[in-house]
Amino acid sequence: MKDEKEIKTPDTKLLLKRFEAGTNQEKQLVCTYCSLIVGVCFLFLCARLWYLQIYRGEEFKRLSERNSIKYVRLQSYRGNILDRSGRLLAGVEPSFNIGVVLKDVKDVEGLIAKLSTLLDETSTDIRMRLVSSKDQPSYLPVIVKRNASWDEVARIESRLYRLPGVVVEVAPARQYPYGTVAPHLLGYLGEISLEQIKSGNFPHAVPGDLVGKSGIELKFEKELAGRSGYKMIEVDARGRMVKVLKVEKPFPGKDIQLSINLDLQLAAEDALSGKSGALVALDPRNGQILAMASSPKFDPRIFSKGLTEMEWKQLNDPVLTPLVNKAIQGQYAPGSTFKIVMAAAGLNEHVISPYSTFFCNGSMKLGRRRFRCWKKGGHGQTSLYKALVQSCDVYFYNVGLKLGIDKISRYAFGFGFGKKTGVELPGEKNGFVPTRRWKRRRFKEPWQKGETLNYSIGQGFLLVTPLQLARMAAAVGNGGRLYRPEYILDEPPKLESKVPVRPAILSRIRKILVGVTEDKHGTARTCRIPGIHVAGKTGTAQVIKQKKRRESEKMAWRYQDHALFVAMAPAENPQIAVAVIIEHGGHGGSAAAPVAKEVIERWLKLRSPKPSTILQRKL
Amino acid sequence: MLDKRILKEIDYIFFLSLFFIMTVGFVNLWSASAAAGCPFEWKQLQWYLIGSVFMVGAMVFDYRELSKYSLHLYVFTIILLVLVMFVGKTVSGSQRWISLGFFNLQPSEPAKLLMAIVISSYFAQQEKENFGLRDLIRPTLLVIVPFLLIFKQPDLGTALLVLIIFGSIVLFARLKLGSFLIILGSCLCAFPLVWKLMKPYQRKRVEIFLNPDADPFGAGWHVIQSKIAVGSGLLFGKGFMKGTQAQLNFLPEVHTDFAFSIWSEEWGFVGAVLLISAYFIFLLRCLNIAQNTRDRFGSFLAFGITAMIFWQMFINVCMVLGLLPVVGIPLPLISYGGSSVITTLLGAGLIMNVRIRRSLFQS
Repeated sequence: MKDEKEIKTPDTKLLLKRFEAGTNQEKQLVCTYCSLIVGVCFLFLCARLWYLQIYRGEEFKRLSERNSIKYVRLQSYRGNILDRSGRLLAGVEPSFNIGVVLKDVKDVEGLIAKLSTLLDETSTDIRMRLVSSKDQPSYLPVIVKRNASWDEVARIESRLYRLPGVVVEVAPARQYPYGTVAPHLLGYLGEISLEQIKSGNFPHAVPGDLVGKSGIELKFEKELAGRSGYKMIEVDARGRMVKVLKVEKPFPGKDIQLSINLDLQLAAEDALSGKSGALVALDPRNGQILAMASSPKFDPRIFSKGLTEMEWKQLNDPVLTPLVNKAIQGQYAPGSTFKIVMAAAGLNEHVISPYSTFFCNGSMKLGRRRFRCWKKGGHGQTSLYKALVQSCDVYFYNVGLKLGIDKISRYAFGFGFGKKTGVELPGEKNGFVPTRRWKRRRFKEPWQKGETLNYSIGQGFLLVTPLQLARMAAAVGNGGRLYRPEYILDEPPKLESKVPVRPAILSRIRKILVGVTEDKHGTARTCRIPGIHVAGKTGTAQVIKQKKRRESEKMAWRYQDHALFVAMAPAENPQIAVAVIIEHGGHGGSAAAPVAKEVIERWLKLRSPKPSTILQRKL
Repeated sequence: MLDKRILKEIDYIFFLSLFFIMTVGFVNLWSASAAAGCPFEWKQLQWYLIGSVFMVGAMVFDYRELSKYSLHLYVFTIILLVLVMFVGKTVSGSQRWISLGFFNLQPSEPAKLLMAIVISSYFAQQEKENFGLRDLIRPTLLVIVPFLLIFKQPDLGTALLVLIIFGSIVLFARLKLGSFLIILGSCLCAFPLVWKLMKPYQRKRVEIFLNPDADPFGAGWHVIQSKIAVGSGLLFGKGFMKGTQAQLNFLPEVHTDFAFSIWSEEWGFVGAVLLISAYFIFLLRCLNIAQNTRDRFGSFLAFGITAMIFWQMFINVCMVLGLLPVVGIPLPLISYGGSSVITTLLGAGLIMNVRIRRSLFQS
């Protein structure tokens, strides 16, 4: 070691350990040996390549040409989706797909022309489908028509020998025995995208497979999809099967049972048809979703067959937004339904009592601005009962001023607004609860008192989703428990939080709200149901700012007010809580309450010992 | 940092051969992607670019800094490997990947490189010129931890590769003949023990390798089909994108472990020999660098990384040609995979780092 020098290089000041002269020579030798070893390995590999490719090459070439063993994929059956009593909402049935193996086609244009006459498809659509699949290997069939009808299959099958490259495949497809029930909740299937395959989340999928693209189909893709199997078969020179060598059976997907009640769901969808809006019905006792409807609906089957441009435009209509699940993605000002929260907050903070009154002369003056009540002449001396039943705005302006913005927001959050309910569906929206801090950050100006007044009657910045509204009603109904909305039947209820209001106050409000449907001045007398007490609250949310009220009806449809209604029944011990929103429907009492009534009546009929006759007639 | 003296030392043959291999990798993946039904080639190009940035990054600092941080690097390796046990993604039974959102990191890949650095640094610091059994106890303990962690994933191939890299560096550091014989003997004796520790599927692979025709449609499938693919390429191959074995899905994993197989099928003997010649030239340049630096650590480092690349290439090609059982070891720069590409290019950068700084010691 004595020869080893330790020198410091000027620029790096790092320790250098040199080899001593003798060792260096030895190392040089070792490296030479290593190079020799690498060289021998190189020659060895070349020799092996020569042996395989030249010496035995012809033999392997013959083997590869005769290679007559094929993998055939066996598709798994997708799991069923059932309602709470086991009725099939979405099942599977075999369907026929017509595909084209481009490698076997000589005259593509001629084939497109022939197919377009045989399949009732325009030749541009077929060409588009063939072009869009040019990334996939040419020996795989490109599906030009999914779910072909018997007629089409018969027409193709009988001409197969004249249509080289055309194949008819059997594949499982979704079927909906009750028609398109709850398409927003169930979701739809579509062809898997390349990004999805690359993401590695679909380990068993190949191009052309159908996977869940929205709703439950997307959320439970893994459970529903199952696992595909394969069959190894020997084929002869013409591709016909000689024998099966090995089979790995596909593993079918799991069934999923929802808490949805098909009868209520159908009632809701019928009542909403022709309107734009949403309905959510919850069981207040455990947070289970009994019905979730969004209107207009769409037909989930058209996605798997490939959309035409026209259909695509219709589905993405910017005003009607049929693809949006308005129950969780629509955000609306709650309007007067928010007065439930205001009343609870006021009583809980002792700024009002059930017996104290405010005087309503039709408006309230704040600074230089006049804030109107919806009733021009005013409500006169107004107690809490009268204020809720007749939806007096001035009363709640006063409550709002006494509470102040910070407390209102605290209670709004407390009732579950402003954040996701946590329902396990993709794309849920937060809604929005304004705060003083947010206003300053967003607009660089302080919160105005006038905004507090608007806030008190559920207008202005505040936004809620129908699901949040229904959950608020459910919490009023069950003594203040906010459950996470659940649509899987067997999931145990998950208590998220408790509303910061004493249960006695909530039950008093519930009692008052019965007046909304039953008092002769109530705003929702349209939702009166004989034999049961329904507690409810109407709401009307302005879509655009206006100087004077009550002009809404005269304006174009898309400027008209949104109609809202929340309800719980029976009022003494609620077992169903409903929230309805009808976009541009006008008044909550006239547009939204009847929809809720339909659902509650259906629920009442189901509860009664007599079996439902309505449903049997329908089917 | 990078003065003229350093730039003058850059080895262009080294980079040309690397570039050639990457070009082949891209072209080959183009074809393999069509067979796999998923475009990997552009992703791979992206890894090449990112890897090249890493490679340049690995050249700008003085490699001797690494020696100072070898303990940190070692701890980092262990942390990565432990992490993958807890948060790793499980794909077909092995827990090998950590998901970073945009990228699935396979920690066993950088672990190979990091261990090569750590072991080189260890031996470079030893004052001996000839190592006996007793001197090997400490470095063996050092290596056994990552070995077991990778073995547990389970990834037998990579685990053994770490041992092989270790063995190569030990031999390079010069082992006493007696010690060498003792180790060789005990390895042979330990084989039954390893056999017992192996998972059933791993055992099956070895059995199949010894007798592929025992289960031609099951476990022997890969080996038989790969040999047919390579063999049917003949002298000039079947042509780009025309390999029937690969394109008709007779071959498994065409874009990763069996990438060389599709290359040989489509480009024939000429293409296959050209590709391994490029590796050969590259490896010779690397060994030349290890030979011609007078710094102990530099020499060990260059040698260790060279060994890493060489053994991966050799084992993978042997596997594809039916000379070794099927183990999950990628062909450097040809097989698809971000972790592997970046690790290899990072290693290449370090080797070049050693070369361009050799002038500093010749004064």
